[in-house]
Amino acid sequence: MVSKLKKCLICAVSAVMAFTSTAITAFADEPYNTYSYDNWGDPIPSQAGYRVERTVTGLDMGLEQLSDPESDLFISENENPQLSGARDFFIDQNTKTMWLADSGNNRILRLNMDLEVTGVYKTFTGGTISTLENPMGVFATSDSAGNTTLYIADSDNQRAIRTKITGDMTAEIEVEYTKPDSAAYTAEAFNPSKILADKEGNAYLVCTSVSTGALRYDSTGTFRGFYGANRVEQTADVIARKVWRVFASDEQLQAMTSSVPTEFNNFDIDDQGFVYTVTESANASTDAVKKLNPAGYNIWDNAVGNKYEFGDFASGYDESTAISTKLTDVVIGDNGVINILDYETGRVFQYDEDATLLFIFGTRSTPSEQEGSFTAPNAVETMGTNVFVLDGTKNDITVFTETVFGKYVHAASVLYVEGRYTDAQPLWEEVMRRDGEYTLAHVALGKAELNNGNYASAMEYFKTAYDQEDYDKAFEYYRDDLLRNNFEIIVSVLLALVILIIVYVKLKKHKKIKSITEYIVILCRKIRNSFKKSKKEGN
Amino acid sequence: MYEFSTLGWLKHVIFHPVEGFEDLRWKKQGSLALSMVIVFLLFVAMVVDRQLMGFAFNTAYVKVFNVVPLIVRSVVYFFVWVLGNWAICTLFDGEGTLKKICIYSAYALVPYIFGTYISVFMSNFLILDEAIWVNFISLLGMGWSVILMIQAMRAVHQYSFAKTIASMIGTLIAMLLILFLAVLLLSLFQQVYVFIVQIYQEIAYRIRG
Repeated sequence: MVSKLKKCLICAVSAVMAFTSTAITAFADEPYNTYSYDNWGDPIPSQAGYRVERTVTGLDMGLEQLSDPESDLFISENENPQLSGARDFFIDQNTKTMWLADSGNNRILRLNMDLEVTGVYKTFTGGTISTLENPMGVFATSDSAGNTTLYIADSDNQRAIRTKITGDMTAEIEVEYTKPDSAAYTAEAFNPSKILADKEGNAYLVCTSVSTGALRYDSTGTFRGFYGANRVEQTADVIARKVWRVFASDEQLQAMTSSVPTEFNNFDIDDQGFVYTVTESANASTDAVKKLNPAGYNIWDNAVGNKYEFGDFASGYDESTAISTKLTDVVIGDNGVINILDYETGRVFQYDEDATLLFIFGTRSTPSEQEGSFTAPNAVETMGTNVFVLDGTKNDITVFTETVFGKYVHAASVLYVEGRYTDAQPLWEEVMRRDGEYTLAHVALGKAELNNGNYASAMEYFKTAYDQEDYDKAFEYYRDDLLRNNFEIIVSVLLALVILIIVYVKLKKHKKIKSITEYIVILCRKIRNSFKKSKKEGN
Repeated sequence: MYEFSTLGWLKHVIFHPVEGFEDLRWKKQGSLALSMVIVFLLFVAMVVDRQLMGFAFNTAYVKVFNVVPLIVRSVVYFFVWVLGNWAICTLFDGEGTLKKICIYSAYALVPYIFGTYISVFMSNFLILDEAIWVNFISLLGMGWSVILMIQAMRAVHQYSFAKTIASMIGTLIAMLLILFLAVLLLSLFQQVYVFIVQIYQEIAYRIRG
């Protein structure tokens, strides 16, 4: 018995191993299986939407120029030719330049889209302190003439700065954002970690351990209040504390710690001025990802009945990692595509504008240190068809580029989000040809068929995707159609039934028949006789 | 008076919730075979509710179908209910025998079973906006069955209303106890079985060795 069990176990384990090992080699070079989630929230295998193009280290960027006296970008003989603990980068879509906060080396790098260094900023004129100390966040805006304004969260100097770029190595500080001189700001320290600016020139600062939201400064550098704080997650502990508060004495109340929401750790702003925030706290379910309008109101609020879910739901697909998410960065790409980076699993989750999952790619380094795996993925950026991930421990940038499959999905998804379902139909069919299990393709094709009036086929698509709500809509139209087309038959059958029942009741009242079976037998006989009669007459 | 066929008695009981079960008892009617059929139909209702519910209405995880929980939820629960009720009520001056409790309980379940069938049938023709009708029918069946069950237990044991309710709550607790003991026994016997098998193997090896 036991030995049999053992044999079975060995068989099963070896089968699983054989399966997983072939599955990994099937996907050419990425050290992870690409997957997606179906409408059940179950992970299913999926085609890769992105593949690793290359990884770029400091040497590849040409950072040895910084210590080369012959070069234009010479800083000093012993300048580090590698990145060191880089925390953030930003791509300016106008000028197609990447700004990289090389935190450990206290410098900001300017790279072109081939990821070659074109500028380095270590000293700044016009401020109280000319150097940076652990710059953790960077953001850039540029006008049509190409003049760039650079925002830097200069964390350990307890300030953030707005600078004007004046050359390849020179920049001038315009505004310094310092610790607010306001009673509303209660934290002792002031360590800005992330920064962004809207079109009006307001700057938003995320500060480490400040849970009341981002700090908003106007264009002159004056503190204007907080923006978009998270809410407290309703854990059992929080509820218990609320109950205790009712009974506790004043002394006990004073001793109690108050429930503080976890702060959001990173954000991005899109073209329309919406700010997207991510909360890094492990497995946060309240306000993990928010889309804030300029007034700071969250329009992705699950508390009002929406169902926005981000990150991993199940560990089923990759048993080696327990499900744990730490969403560390968000970036909005072309057409409102949302990329969210999970620090814990090293995965990038890509969603369309309506927060529907498109792709998952990337992995952690622990089992295999390969291209496409990360040790400390700190930031994600996107430009055109590329997605960049910055690793603060491996000190490199990984460039993901979209596959053919990804290209079709993106093209189709743009039309789909705009509601042009019929236009998107051929593209989705192309997607289906490459991945027949891609849930969104089934839903989108169903919606297209619904638009075209082919309700039965729409129902079939929705059924495959297990999209109950859309199925219900299609079924409603299908039923209406069915009733309208067969109205005469339905009405005449109903009428005949009513007449038969009335006759039956009358007959029974006058005791001409005993039971319903007798009635049916008589009816059948009558119908048969009338048929026979008509046949005879026909002859 | 009250000369019905077996099915006629069932109909009488269902549509006369006030005195139906008293009549059944007075006339010493009720068929055990029919009650077994009803229990089987209850099991079928559970399966139908899970598998044939209209697509948009079905909340079950249809990717896997496991019949065991459905058997437990229908057949096993029913017999545990009967056993628990009998155990409790013989201690508290109930007049019902095991057979009678089984028959009366099964008869009382019929509206629930029919409610399930009808609501499942309707859910295939209705949309989610009209879900209230599906819910209404299944709730109607359930409510009706609850009322019938109270009446059935009252009639079979000749209890007052308050005592019936108390005995039914007691039955639920007894069911929990029985199921707990059953699980305990099962796991114990499984261990004993493994123990015996291992001893047998050990001896077999030695003899051969």
